[in-house]
Amino acid sequence: MRLAFWLYEGTALHGISRVTNSMKGVHTVYHAPQGDDYITATYTMLERTPEFPGLSISVVRGRDLAQGVSRLPGTLQQVEHHYTPDLTVIAPSCSTALLQEDLHQLAASSGVPKEKLMVYALNPFRVSENEAADGLLTELVKRFAVAQEKTAVPSVNLIGFTSLGFHLRANLTSLRRLLQTLGIKVNVVAPWGAGIEDLKKLPAAWLNIAPYREIGRTAAEYLGATFAMPALYEAPIGVEPTLAWIRSLLDQLNAIGKERGAAAIAMPKLHAFSLDGLSAPSGVPWFARTADMESFSNKRAFVFGDATHTVGIVKFLTNELGMKVIGAGTYMEQHADWVRQQLEGYLPGELMVTDKFQEVSKFIDEEMPDLVCGTQMERHSCRKLDVPCMVICPPTHIENHLLGYYPFFGFDGADIIADRVYLSCKLGLEKHLIDFFGDAGLEYEEGASSESSPAEVPAGDTQPDAVQPASPSVPISEEGGMHWSDEAETMLKKVPFFVRKKVRKNTETFAEGIGAAEVTVEVFRKAKESLGG
Amino acid sequence: MLQVPGDVQIIKEDNVTHSFCGLACVGWMYQKIKDSFFLILGTHTCAHFLQNALGMMIFAKPRFGIALIEEGDLSKQEPTLEEIIAEIKADHNPSVIFLLSSCTPEVMKVDFKGLSHHLSTPSVPVLFVPASGLVFTFTQAEDSVLHALVPFCRVAPAGEKKVVFLGSVNDVTADDLRAEAEELGIPVGGFLPESRFDRMPAIGPDTVLAPIQPYLSRVAVKLERERGARVLHSLFPIGPDGTRAFWEDLAREFGITVDLRDREKAAWEKIRTQTDLLKGKKVFLTADTMMELPLARFLHNAGAEVVECSSTYINKKFHARELEALQGVRVVEQPNFHRQLEDVERIRPDLIVTSLMTANPFAGHGFVVKWSMEFMLMSIHSWSGVFTLANMFVSPLNRRSKLPEFDKEVWLEGVMPSAE
Repeated sequence: MRLAFWLYEGTALHGISRVTNSMKGVHTVYHAPQGDDYITATYTMLERTPEFPGLSISVVRGRDLAQGVSRLPGTLQQVEHHYTPDLTVIAPSCSTALLQEDLHQLAASSGVPKEKLMVYALNPFRVSENEAADGLLTELVKRFAVAQEKTAVPSVNLIGFTSLGFHLRANLTSLRRLLQTLGIKVNVVAPWGAGIEDLKKLPAAWLNIAPYREIGRTAAEYLGATFAMPALYEAPIGVEPTLAWIRSLLDQLNAIGKERGAAAIAMPKLHAFSLDGLSAPSGVPWFARTADMESFSNKRAFVFGDATHTVGIVKFLTNELGMKVIGAGTYMEQHADWVRQQLEGYLPGELMVTDKFQEVSKFIDEEMPDLVCGTQMERHSCRKLDVPCMVICPPTHIENHLLGYYPFFGFDGADIIADRVYLSCKLGLEKHLIDFFGDAGLEYEEGASSESSPAEVPAGDTQPDAVQPASPSVPISEEGGMHWSDEAETMLKKVPFFVRKKVRKNTETFAEGIGAAEVTVEVFRKAKESLGG
Repeated sequence: MLQVPGDVQIIKEDNVTHSFCGLACVGWMYQKIKDSFFLILGTHTCAHFLQNALGMMIFAKPRFGIALIEEGDLSKQEPTLEEIIAEIKADHNPSVIFLLSSCTPEVMKVDFKGLSHHLSTPSVPVLFVPASGLVFTFTQAEDSVLHALVPFCRVAPAGEKKVVFLGSVNDVTADDLRAEAEELGIPVGGFLPESRFDRMPAIGPDTVLAPIQPYLSRVAVKLERERGARVLHSLFPIGPDGTRAFWEDLAREFGITVDLRDREKAAWEKIRTQTDLLKGKKVFLTADTMMELPLARFLHNAGAEVVECSSTYINKKFHARELEALQGVRVVEQPNFHRQLEDVERIRPDLIVTSLMTANPFAGHGFVVKWSMEFMLMSIHSWSGVFTLANMFVSPLNRRSKLPEFDKEVWLEGVMPSAE
């Protein structure tokens, strides 16, 4: 037992619903107490789903337990009646897993055809979000993928793209653009957007692309073992890795094509990969060679995240931007060996492996890096320490679910990552000025810059009215002309600081209107009543 | 005195809803009671819930945390929390620690009462707060917190006739309520809860308890039974109608006759633009925070057509006056969300008040929505809250009318797999 405040990975239930919520015609039923479907809010609010996530709860009440009643069969019937999904995945939560019920039997007694149900019962005390998602995806692929003819043209599956994945849609777009340029057909994307019929036709592709170490790899390995499908497991993060990724893709497809007597796919001119088809596909190689980037060679970076992104970003910062990585770590303990092996020679010390954000925060506090690449928790820790930070992987904040095209994969992704590094770090000349003159000359600029506002908006994803944190250094005007009684002033202090100024002004205007000479508690209250709180 | 409404039909369904469990109350309770610490004995699920659904970020020194039950702890007889309690005391120096139950330890049959008793010291009591989703929804665990605080409210001597307001509101609202009462000549004994543990109000046989939040029936009954306090049975002070009834009824408890008709009229007049817009609008409340009854009553009296008022729990005695005021309105307890979805598609309400989990999908189906949880976070009480309250319903309607036409076929394409 330990005291926890915040955790990197979500629960097994979260992992399960990330897969099912990605899919069409698949429903999840949580066999769980009230509230365990809170996860729905992460889909409807972070991803802003315009459709109800296919997720229902079969509520377990204390009274039901006492009476030995289960609502599961009834819930399954309701789900079947209202939504007629192709498949319903049934999952217990941490508390109901302890009840050791026979969920298969309960599910069967619903009368819903067996082939439309899947009980996916994990030990939620042992298995977390990513492992559960990877495991369920594999189970689904095992159950539905069938041997069949390959597509006539070279084709690939994109596996592991999952709801709430980091910059998921942009990464998919980036890979689709690459594949389109190469003339390679996308057979199936899974689980994102896939239905049961799509899972069935997975083996029609020539090759699987499974770039995430956390989710999708096991399914691709199964497809490889069962249907002799080769796979590409690298994540194309950075320019050189993207080039290597394309070459490896072409080599493997061309080898298959040769057997099938198809023409080889040639590597096109690199301009073809750019957005306008005329330019360099990425600005990173030139950017890294410019004079203003020279100062980056002394910048000390720390990277912490999941396995895929920690590896990708450490290599990118080191190899392509020429930065100094002073340390790295991951919260994905089960992939730590892989990360160590991938980053051999990249790190000055041991890889940090922990799921305690306090340890990560402590390291940052002690080392004060020039750049931290981390999760939303590192972003938060860094704000308190005034250390530049960019978010590179889940868990994310609403700020990481933006509308624009911000991939991390491919050439387009390299540009995005480099831009973020550049914007996050203190710049070259500016840094010289700070080092040389101290911060004396920068006080004004810091105060005026919205970047440096120390006030963090709490609960960014659920705060109903986005609160604009005004810089608290802006003094509240005391010269309204009207006198405030001490009590009224005390009362005003209870108003949140960011609206205090406005409330003061409105109250004075109101007081003038009713002919009051000074703002007393009574006048203030009347004003509030009249003006609306 | 108590009028149990005879002909208000409450339809009861099977509670297949989308709402949070009792742990949600930590979100506002730890901020309200400033020298407290909220310790949840729970699992990864509880931690993930607090950090995700409530969006509760870890501030410099969060005054809530989870004593995390891991696999190895499942086989142990009783959880050992001594070290964790020591850590909390060293880091936070709280005056009180609330120990919240959750589903897994409830299933494990942890003896929470014994546990909290064992961990308590005279200087820092550890108070058991039942909050698990097996029994409690969303706001209901505030009732449990107040329940646990009762022994720390001094017994007010007989003859000390004062009002104690029941329910946590922010300091600004509390000041308003206090001042309003004093203006009417009603002596104020305080609030349960106050914002510090050592300042909880005295409650005795001549205390009048005035509930200002609709989810606190159990603590009201407890205080009635144990202290002989009188519980005010009125409307909740929300909206001009509720506020007037609340103050008039409360004053009457103190032998003071006030006529607030003009005040109510003026308050309605102040929000006339809003009520003009609400008139005849079909509003559907799907059940989430248990604020639904007073909200629906305000809407009903404002001229809106409340097509369904659902709530996760309705107490016929505690909510009697609100139910009475809702005569003719379809009231559902523990609704079935699947059925609600079908009704919503059929009725096509103009506004849906619904949970964080369901709001955007309703919007995706072409409806105008308002987050029910927002009503928990805004000052909507008494006269000064009237304007805010009315605007909360009107603002989404106005906003939608300002946006251009929306072609779902175009603008939802590819947004999500299920929307394609």
